[in-house]
Amino acid sequence: MHYFMIVFPIILTSLFTLATIPLLVWMERRVAALIQDRLGPNRCNIKGIRLGGIIQPIADMLKLLFKEEFYPKHVKQKFYYILAPAIVFASSFLSFMVIPYADDITLDGFTYHIQALPIELGVLWVFAFAGLGVYGIIIAGWASHNKYSILGALRASSQVISYEIAMGLAIVSMLITYNSISLNDMVQFQGRLIFGFIPAWGIIIQPLAGLIFIVTAFAETNRAPFDAAEGESEIVAGYHTEYSAMKFALFFMGEYIAMSAASALIVTIFFGGYQIPWLNTQTMQEHMSLIILLLMVLIPLMALSFISWMNFNNSCSPEHQRETKFATIFITVFIIILESFLFYLLASGMSSEGNAIFIMIMQIISFALKVMLMNFVFVWVRWTFPRFRYDQTQHLGWRILLPLSLLNIFITAIVVVVGGL
Amino acid sequence: MGIKIVPRHGNSFKDKTYLWAVFSGMKTTLKKFTTNLSDTNCIPTCEYPEAQPEDITDRYRGMHRLTHREDDSVRCVACFMCATACPSDCIFIEAEERMDEVDEKQPKSFDIDLLECIFCGYCVEACPCDAIRMDTGIFSIVARQREDFIINKEQLLKNRGAFGQENSLA
Repeated sequence: MHYFMIVFPIILTSLFTLATIPLLVWMERRVAALIQDRLGPNRCNIKGIRLGGIIQPIADMLKLLFKEEFYPKHVKQKFYYILAPAIVFASSFLSFMVIPYADDITLDGFTYHIQALPIELGVLWVFAFAGLGVYGIIIAGWASHNKYSILGALRASSQVISYEIAMGLAIVSMLITYNSISLNDMVQFQGRLIFGFIPAWGIIIQPLAGLIFIVTAFAETNRAPFDAAEGESEIVAGYHTEYSAMKFALFFMGEYIAMSAASALIVTIFFGGYQIPWLNTQTMQEHMSLIILLLMVLIPLMALSFISWMNFNNSCSPEHQRETKFATIFITVFIIILESFLFYLLASGMSSEGNAIFIMIMQIISFALKVMLMNFVFVWVRWTFPRFRYDQTQHLGWRILLPLSLLNIFITAIVVVVGGL
Repeated sequence: MGIKIVPRHGNSFKDKTYLWAVFSGMKTTLKKFTTNLSDTNCIPTCEYPEAQPEDITDRYRGMHRLTHREDDSVRCVACFMCATACPSDCIFIEAEERMDEVDEKQPKSFDIDLLECIFCGYCVEACPCDAIRMDTGIFSIVARQREDFIINKEQLLKNRGAFGQENSLA
């Protein structure tokens, strides 16, 4: 158990990064399609089971894996050419390491941090690796030996430089508010309530910093509307023009992990991290049986509404009906097992350790839901806004967000000093 | 003379923050997303291989065909007008003398390379006898080999018009 609790956050990290990629690719394509009045990928199946098209990313990945490893002849610096996607992938992967997934848990006298890397300087680690990611892009653009690639790399690097300042300053005002640089402390702070009924989330205490941080996070991850670095209308595909097969896929996955990491950071700093609103760890411990009862009512209701949605939308052909039937049986069995487990917990009464583990699981689920919701916002924004022109991006970064974030720091500092908080 | 003063937008503080426009844009897309998600039947996408398109009109330029006379023989007189008009040079005709007293000339072979064809319809317009037409309504042309895309006279004669007019009107 001791070793498992140490390895557990690392497993969670790899799940949150690697396992969410196919999910995010699927979400991106389906959400885009639904926003644009299309259906999106829904044909890929394993024996007729399509899971709403979620098999498609697996097929995509297989295709990319088995493609020819092609190296353009004009690429002289092959080492850097191969190194670049690895840097992009690894740095976005590593920036996820310090995100807390649940409150500290005490088992057998040991206190475990549910962080893959339980260090106190959480925010700095994230910034270090988020900033490193752009080196991969610069090296890719340079090693590709191609005008379009180098233009894309140039755009990406200047954009990251101009936005990292505003981002850092927005964080500074949050550090003043939370009085800590450890991400776990920040999340614990957000478990409180203002005036007894509003959750003290970062976005409520510091709406301006939250807005600046979200905007700069979009720019930092090179996603729409700030994806001028891969503006296909002007510079083909930007820095990854010369990449193919799995090397391209690494860039692609790196982008999605970076998006996920940015979401996790936004959620951790501004949307209460793993905290469930109005239910921090102490409250949950006190009202355990009530929460379990509530879950026992809510979970079947959600499953029921999902099944009715599925029956309404997925019954136009015999194969679809068969699939719907299969999914219905699967969900029903799963819900019955879950319900009986919850009933067992309720009936037998839990030890304090069982309680702690249950709270941990609840908090991890809450965090995962929040991150997925934030990822949805990323996707939603991408399919809503046109791409910013390059000079508009710079204008927004240097002349609007930077002064605003400075102003926010002054106001925060004055409030903290004068108010003596 | 009246002067129309056009109101200029985008100068108020509300417009300059862009936030209002940003959120209203996001509201629009979210509404689209939720309506389509709650009822996928309202998405106009045609699920193609199962559901075939139903909006192909008689002016649609599909695969070519050679029309027939009243006695079901070939209408074409091998005048090479279509091959001359063809901008992509995809029509290959070989003429021969026609011995059954109906006409003087007929094609011995009439090949169209559908991979070269750009479906412009110039051959149909050039034909003086209404012998070649593109009203088959066939829009999906598939084959396993390149050679199979070159269709000959027999296949062209086998294609029937999808809109009622079977024989040549000339």
